[in-house]
Amino acid sequence: MRKRWIVGVLVAAAVAAAAVAGVATRASAAPKLTNITLQLKWVPQAQFAGYYAASLKGFYKDEGLNVTLKNGGPDIIPEQVVASNQAQFGVDWLPSLLAARDKGTDLVNVAQVFARSGMTQLTWKSSGITTVAKMRGKKVANWLGGNQYELFAALTKFGMDPEKNKGVTIVQQPFDMNLFLQHKVDSASAMTYNELAQVLESKNPKTGKLFTLADLNVIKMQDVGTGMLEDGLFSTASWLKDPANQAIAVKFIAASLKGWIYCRDHVAECVSMTLQEGPTLPKGHQTWQMNEINKLIWPNAAGIGVMNKADYARTAKIAQQYGAIKKAPTAGAYRTDLATKAVALLKKQGVDVNGKSYKPITVKLTAGGK
Amino acid sequence: MSGVVVTPGLRAGFGRRAGRQAIEWIPAAVVFCLGIAVWEGAIWAFHIKQFLLPKPSDIVSSLWSDGGTLWPAGWTTFKEALGGFAGGSAAGIVVATAIGRFRALGGVLMPLAIAANAVPIIAFAPIFNAWFDPLAPGSKMAIAGVLCFFPVLVNTLRGLQSVSPRQIELMRSYAAGELTIWRRVRVPTALPYVFTSLKVASVLAMIGAIVGEYFGGSFNALGVLIRSDAQILDFQTAWAGILVASLLGLALYAAVVVAERLTIRWAPASRDP
Repeated sequence: MRKRWIVGVLVAAAVAAAAVAGVATRASAAPKLTNITLQLKWVPQAQFAGYYAASLKGFYKDEGLNVTLKNGGPDIIPEQVVASNQAQFGVDWLPSLLAARDKGTDLVNVAQVFARSGMTQLTWKSSGITTVAKMRGKKVANWLGGNQYELFAALTKFGMDPEKNKGVTIVQQPFDMNLFLQHKVDSASAMTYNELAQVLESKNPKTGKLFTLADLNVIKMQDVGTGMLEDGLFSTASWLKDPANQAIAVKFIAASLKGWIYCRDHVAECVSMTLQEGPTLPKGHQTWQMNEINKLIWPNAAGIGVMNKADYARTAKIAQQYGAIKKAPTAGAYRTDLATKAVALLKKQGVDVNGKSYKPITVKLTAGGK
Repeated sequence: MSGVVVTPGLRAGFGRRAGRQAIEWIPAAVVFCLGIAVWEGAIWAFHIKQFLLPKPSDIVSSLWSDGGTLWPAGWTTFKEALGGFAGGSAAGIVVATAIGRFRALGGVLMPLAIAANAVPIIAFAPIFNAWFDPLAPGSKMAIAGVLCFFPVLVNTLRGLQSVSPRQIELMRSYAAGELTIWRRVRVPTALPYVFTSLKVASVLAMIGAIVGEYFGGSFNALGVLIRSDAQILDFQTAWAGILVASLLGLALYAAVVVAERLTIRWAPASRDP
């Protein structure tokens, strides 16, 4: 027993020494880099490929930044992580950010990366539920926890009261599509870039073949008029007060946007960078996702990352109308100056920040997204 | 007839007892109020942010403003808890009775019951949601029922087995049959044990229902609401939901206490709070 104890101590000491050595070498190799942490919204997937690319292609390093990308998950709230200073930046949907501001945090959107909403409601073609209005009296699933506002707004628009379960039964949707595939709910939420593909990667038990878009009604919130702005970068007003931090923010935003621009033009490479991060779903799924994410970003007339005032106003209005926030959001909820500077910086480097000629690719899905 | 004579005396005694109990409760109430004051004061003094810990006064105001959503959700959860409580406790009592009557059965069932009890219930929740329709209350009732089953089983069995042999000998000397002994001696002896376990189960049932809801369910349920509110940093409403859950759990507990007092007036232990 005693011998084992000694071995244990030796191993612990060796590990500690190695760790110290590792930290020391890393510090000496890059003495001038500024440490920045970015909290992502969800588990590794192509939804964050731009940040992976910025990190792996050295765009952050070029700007003098050492960026740590923190993965998200079901119980990680990026707003809380940033508000409690565990990260300088976070990625989340704009309504969630507004909700967090409503609760007394000083979070600020600094760059709106996604210009369009990827949120849809799926129904089976055989159900005949082709519109939101026809969801009356049906079981409608959503992930809740801040992801429900676009759907709730759409249901309310057609006279239902989802908050009180009147006219429609709202069901908490797990992070897979099984409830929908087993016909336990009539409609389920699906992001164009993720859950929709999960359904299309599943086999129809009746035919033994994959489901196709012909089996589904895809009701886009963007088309219903209740689409809200989704993934954007945010920080805190208190951190941004310091002009030095503002300068860091411009560099960070520029490098991040450059990553997204890179992924627009190099889909396959960005998919393999995503795969290095260890996503749950395989290559085929991530390729579909990368392509769909690009569609949400490009083209962007004002330049990627610069908040569109009208879209912001619509998001804020819907958020207030449907209880995400109690009072109208204050002016400090977003700032465009940092993103505008970042875009100018990129233009000077000769980078295309508008993607006017962007053309999506066609991705063929396979069973299980392989 | 004797009941008619006793009742007025009981009422007078009840009034005096209530007064005495009120005095006994004063220290607890003072500590409770002090705790709330310290909570509220600490937030004010240390500028604790609202999204980390809301003020008790804000939680109560949220309970008021969001009551229209919270109470119906609480009622849904309460019904699930009640169903699980009734099912789980009934099963516990039936199995305990069977084991109490047929010793051999105990050797077979008890190890299994203990093993089942050792499985953390949170691990069961997603499985139950898959077995039963996650949208039907049955899946939540099953979780609450499993939680309630074991304490009721163990305590009821203990109660049934704690009969003094002399009492049984006495009954036998009166030529009483097994059924009479069971009704006149075993059940009355076991009842205080049963009620103690029901009190434990009443609180567990509410926990079981909420744990089940954490893994999916319809929106108008406390577990789903609390989880969803916490994810949008609406901790004020989340806390209000927790408060509703506690109040409903206490109500079920109180109902068991009342039932106990009405059923076993002879046992002095039942008068202790």
